[in-house]
Amino acid sequence: MRRPSNFAFSTYDSFINEVQDDASISWRKRKKHFFILSHSGKPIYSRYGDEHKLAGFSATLQAIISFVENGGDRVNLIRAGKHQVVFLVKGPIYLVCISCTEEPYMSLRGQLELLYNQMILILTRSVNRCFEKNAKFDMTPLLGGTDVVFSSLIHSFSWNPATFLHAYTCLPLAYAIRQSSGAILQDVADSGVLFAILMCKHKVISLVGAQKASLHPDDMLLLSNFVMSSESFRTSESFSPICLPRFNPMAFLYAYVHYLDGDTYLTLLTTSSDAFYHLKDCRIRVENVLLKSNVLGEVQRSMVDGGMRIEDLPDDRGSRSGAVSSHLGQPGHATYSSERFDEAFLGVGGPAGLWHFIYRSISLDQYVSSEFSSPINSRRQQKRLYRSYQKIYASMHEEGIGPHKTLFKRDDNYVLLCWVTPDFELYAVFDPLADKALAIKTCNRVCQWIKDVENEIFLLGASPFSWWTDPGNTPLPEFAEISL
Amino acid sequence: MPSRRRTLLKVIILGDSGVGKTSLMNQYVNKKFSNQYKATIGADFLTKEVQFEDRLFTLQIWDTAGQERFQSLGVAFYRGADCCVLVYDVNSMKSFENLNNWREEFLIQASPSDPENFPFVVLGNKVDIDGGNSRVVSEKKARAWCASKGNIPYFETSAKEGTNVEEAFQCIAKNALKSGEEEEIYLPDTLDVGASSQPRTSGCEC
Repeated sequence: MRRPSNFAFSTYDSFINEVQDDASISWRKRKKHFFILSHSGKPIYSRYGDEHKLAGFSATLQAIISFVENGGDRVNLIRAGKHQVVFLVKGPIYLVCISCTEEPYMSLRGQLELLYNQMILILTRSVNRCFEKNAKFDMTPLLGGTDVVFSSLIHSFSWNPATFLHAYTCLPLAYAIRQSSGAILQDVADSGVLFAILMCKHKVISLVGAQKASLHPDDMLLLSNFVMSSESFRTSESFSPICLPRFNPMAFLYAYVHYLDGDTYLTLLTTSSDAFYHLKDCRIRVENVLLKSNVLGEVQRSMVDGGMRIEDLPDDRGSRSGAVSSHLGQPGHATYSSERFDEAFLGVGGPAGLWHFIYRSISLDQYVSSEFSSPINSRRQQKRLYRSYQKIYASMHEEGIGPHKTLFKRDDNYVLLCWVTPDFELYAVFDPLADKALAIKTCNRVCQWIKDVENEIFLLGASPFSWWTDPGNTPLPEFAEISL
Repeated sequence: MPSRRRTLLKVIILGDSGVGKTSLMNQYVNKKFSNQYKATIGADFLTKEVQFEDRLFTLQIWDTAGQERFQSLGVAFYRGADCCVLVYDVNSMKSFENLNNWREEFLIQASPSDPENFPFVVLGNKVDIDGGNSRVVSEKKARAWCASKGNIPYFETSAKEGTNVEEAFQCIAKNALKSGEEEEIYLPDTLDVGASSQPRTSGCEC
């Protein structure tokens, strides 16, 4: 069996997977394993090691799952010391994560769901029919060359908040610039394109859908991961069958992908398998407009300038009109310091010990996070911060007792302040010695700031498919409302 | 892509307890034999790479427990097998007579798409014992049974001496391969645009 497509994936991933099996110490030492296998125990994917060398291990996993299933039950989680083994059964496809990272069960399960949907994006759920016809069906040839897509998704589980927030993020741009790119995308969408998406790395510049068609943030995450991780998209214009699992898991769409520069790429999705030349024409039109209105130049500038910096948080509400890309803010309120962090934190960070924040707009399905600044400098600190957000998000949304409205938590590393309303969620991280009242006040200032610059940091109502209410009419809660 | 095109074959080994299933597998995979009997609990899994007609295969061998109390594991274990190996002890009539039950049980539980032509291989093990003097099942009798079940390939083996083990597993690999060869084009539907607008569930689904 083979996939009907013009794939030319690079296979450098096979070099990374040096010969490892379940007996090798380096394999056992890995902190987080992911496996995909079939219901007959045949390996489909393993993050580390060679799937074929792990055939015995894969069989063991199937035996465990099937043994519990035989008793009319289902195994979700096994705890063994520091390790968690999380199972997800999707018809004939079994997914397993073995982790000692202390991430919440809910997060790991969400990651398995994304991994499954990444596979569906490549093959559609019609693959189930192959198993119905033939239980011993071997899927690995169908996924040939896609290891790197899965590996890159798994890597994003440790840095990309979109993987647990189920929201996308935009590249900060002047309103007019985003509007003009939206207009040309709308123009091509009207000519029979289902979705037109312009992105820079994992950030959206603009996107437009045909009448009534809507794109789920998870699908955007998986699509952009697929495009960015597959080297062949970078080198030429490509046309490939893909499936959007949240849109329709059973059927293929066709994606025309073209990189406009090193990081910026246009994806046009259609239902027609012979639309390549039409989409190519569409791309040329889009590209011309983007060049003429200097959108690509602005994109480059925004990439260099970065997004919101906590040092730029305005003093109090209304004191500045706020232009995020200009970074006109004061050099930071270095009044707060603690001896413990003297070296790491030379007068940087935001006011009141604010270190970082993530704001998620519920109606827009979008989030914005501040740039990392001191003391969250190293990759290790950023990963630790990320894990804290992930954990706190899970506990705020825990089934049964959640969602909580507010939470103030102080531990050895941070003060975490969470605020969940029907309109937005704010997660803010402060210095562990931050004052509570001041932190609350600062959160309100962050919300006001976001409102001031929302035109630039979010994609607002550019197309008919996002059914949000005009944020101008959403009253922003006063800071008195957050009482803990 | 072509470099990674390796086929994995799932092979199930069935037979009464004590006939030497685990020993055969150990002899085949590790070239080792031990006289000590250690009952298999549930199932053991071993892998072995084999080359056949210039292609590389991985055999995923499911060495199951022979005791009746493990037979409830049936469906879970047998699903998607590419070949089933039935083992008996030539010195035990009972273990030979039970081959029929094992075969039928397998076909019921695994429900392969073409049961008539599902590849089995029969191994008569322990031919070394007592120089063959304690043998109770004759080769003729065994071959007759195999012939009656659609010409199942038959081998007389000794896990202890390594007799015929390599040959038997070569045959097993060959037959497993034969059963999985049909190639098809994978062609899911393309989205019908008329019916494309689906209601979306908004927000987070956690």
